[in-house]
Amino acid sequence: MASQLGPLKFPWFGKESHKNDPYWDFFINMPPADLANTVTEMIRKAPDGNVFPTRAELHTPEITSSHVKGMAEYFGAELVGIAKLPSNASQAETYPFGIICVVHADYDPRTALGIGGQVPVQNGLFITFVLSAWIRELGFRAGTAPEPDADKLAAAAGLGTLNGEGRLVTAKFGANVHIADVIRTDLPLAADG
Amino acid sequence: MALTAEKVAQPFNSSTEPNHAPVETEFPVPYLGRTVKIVGPHVNVDMNQSPHPKNSRGELGKPLFNWYRNTVSQDPLTRVSAPNHFADRRNFLVNVINRSSNGKVNPRTVTVDDPAAMARHIKTVALYMGADVVGIAKVHPSFLYAAGGGRYVQDGTAKDEYQSNSPEELVRRFPYIIQAATAWDYNKLQAHRHHIGDAAYHVSQMKGVMVLKALEGYIKELGYTALRGVVTPQAAGVAGGIGELGRNGLVINKNFGARVHMPDPILTDLPLVADEPVDIGVEDFCKICRKCANTCPTNSIPFGDKVVFNGIEKYKINWLTCYKLRPYVHEHWGSCLTCAAVCPFTKPNVWWHNLATWALHTCPYAARPALVHALKWIDDKFWGVTRTNRVRWLGYDSGIKPGDQACTVAGCTASHEGKASSVSGDMGYYAPLKENTNRFVKRDG
Repeated sequence: MASQLGPLKFPWFGKESHKNDPYWDFFINMPPADLANTVTEMIRKAPDGNVFPTRAELHTPEITSSHVKGMAEYFGAELVGIAKLPSNASQAETYPFGIICVVHADYDPRTALGIGGQVPVQNGLFITFVLSAWIRELGFRAGTAPEPDADKLAAAAGLGTLNGEGRLVTAKFGANVHIADVIRTDLPLAADG
Repeated sequence: MALTAEKVAQPFNSSTEPNHAPVETEFPVPYLGRTVKIVGPHVNVDMNQSPHPKNSRGELGKPLFNWYRNTVSQDPLTRVSAPNHFADRRNFLVNVINRSSNGKVNPRTVTVDDPAAMARHIKTVALYMGADVVGIAKVHPSFLYAAGGGRYVQDGTAKDEYQSNSPEELVRRFPYIIQAATAWDYNKLQAHRHHIGDAAYHVSQMKGVMVLKALEGYIKELGYTALRGVVTPQAAGVAGGIGELGRNGLVINKNFGARVHMPDPILTDLPLVADEPVDIGVEDFCKICRKCANTCPTNSIPFGDKVVFNGIEKYKINWLTCYKLRPYVHEHWGSCLTCAAVCPFTKPNVWWHNLATWALHTCPYAARPALVHALKWIDDKFWGVTRTNRVRWLGYDSGIKPGDQACTVAGCTASHEGKASSVSGDMGYYAPLKENTNRFVKRDG
């Protein structure tokens, strides 16, 4: 097959290319008047589905981990890591592994509250929803929830280092990243880091 | 070109009258490019008479009904990505999004002084959200589903206060259609008729549904109405310059070919400027190529000329024979995709492909047949008449015959009892469907 030479990409064509767009600021920064208009709200409200009753036959934990990462990248994750979660006796359900997916964020979703500013959150929820649903269909438990220590877990999974503010800094995108909700699962995996 | 009047359009109820002269005066017949023409009275499509709704009512027979309603896929990824083959619908994202309650239109409308700037903005927004192609079409009543036929969003609902409006009333109030399309992964599509090809198709569908839902919400936040389940995607795609309609019944895009997913478009009153239909040479190519017709396992794609169907001059595929194959192959794949995969326009979105479509676009009409013959020869030579590549992806392997068990993952030391240890060769396994279906499906032409 002929070689697939991709298109040229110029890194300086970033958010500045929107400076002539009179509606861009509204898109990025204006919080929605009705949250029901946002896909992020739709996905967050959705309950988890059932775990498939028959477990799929797995390969080794290392290979299963590479498949989980490949699947997450296919769904749009820029960086994927797997961290061993501390066992917490106070919680009814314990999960041995956390899957951390990171997406590129032109704008910080914590301050850019418009539908456009929340696009990284939307992309992250798309990835975590489908990936956790896929793990449940493999016959293992998987659930997503916002994680206060997501930056620490991401650093523990080898996705980057923490800066002075405790935020994840990655080699590829610096601090311009959004860490999606952590997927907690009992799928046999091999932790990174 | 010889045209056959295959169907004389008849109105099926009083709310869906053909476009008579007064209507044509108010809504001039639109130019849809060289591949499709509105040449006669057109009866708006009743969504209740389209394949999936007919099947869900059991009108296409038990095997198809059971395949559609009662079949859980054996493949975990298919269970979370393909409509109607999930074990638990809560694990299927499209279902979650389409069944969510609709938000309200923002009462604080953003003033649009320059529709061209808004058109550029809305396209940038769609691309920023993840769409691969965006087009804006000026709406015409013939693009809309019939009133009373019911809005249609697969796995969801599109009910709103404009439910009972006729197509003409909707067009007067909502002049534009926004179509955002997502492209299937090219490399995975090479393993079509396999779960790998299904992944390419279904994941792009999920992404497309999410992008359009987010875009719908954003238009409402701008203070304008966005209606779903109203517009025929194919019409919007052709009118909005997404691509041209091919012999295979698919809209063919200049960058991605036939591998674009166009879920339910948005009908809106947001002030915009519409795009024009494009000419990338599909008309000239499809007259000569016929690769999709030759390789279609069910002979559902015509070899002959265009026909006039319901007032529209186009290539008319036989959707029923295409559909009827599905229950018999669902254990091995969900979506056939042969016609999209073999289409010479379906290539990676890279410079050499774009150069070929640019050459077709700029070539004078008289010289195009010679160029098409040359391009088709190159396509046959380098990519083959059918796709036979062996594709491996995350434990999936298209070289394994459906039903056989084997682990071909390099380095795997897990004990897979009862599985063959290895499968050799670089050829994907493709069930010999054509030879089998030729025995009982009559070809036309």
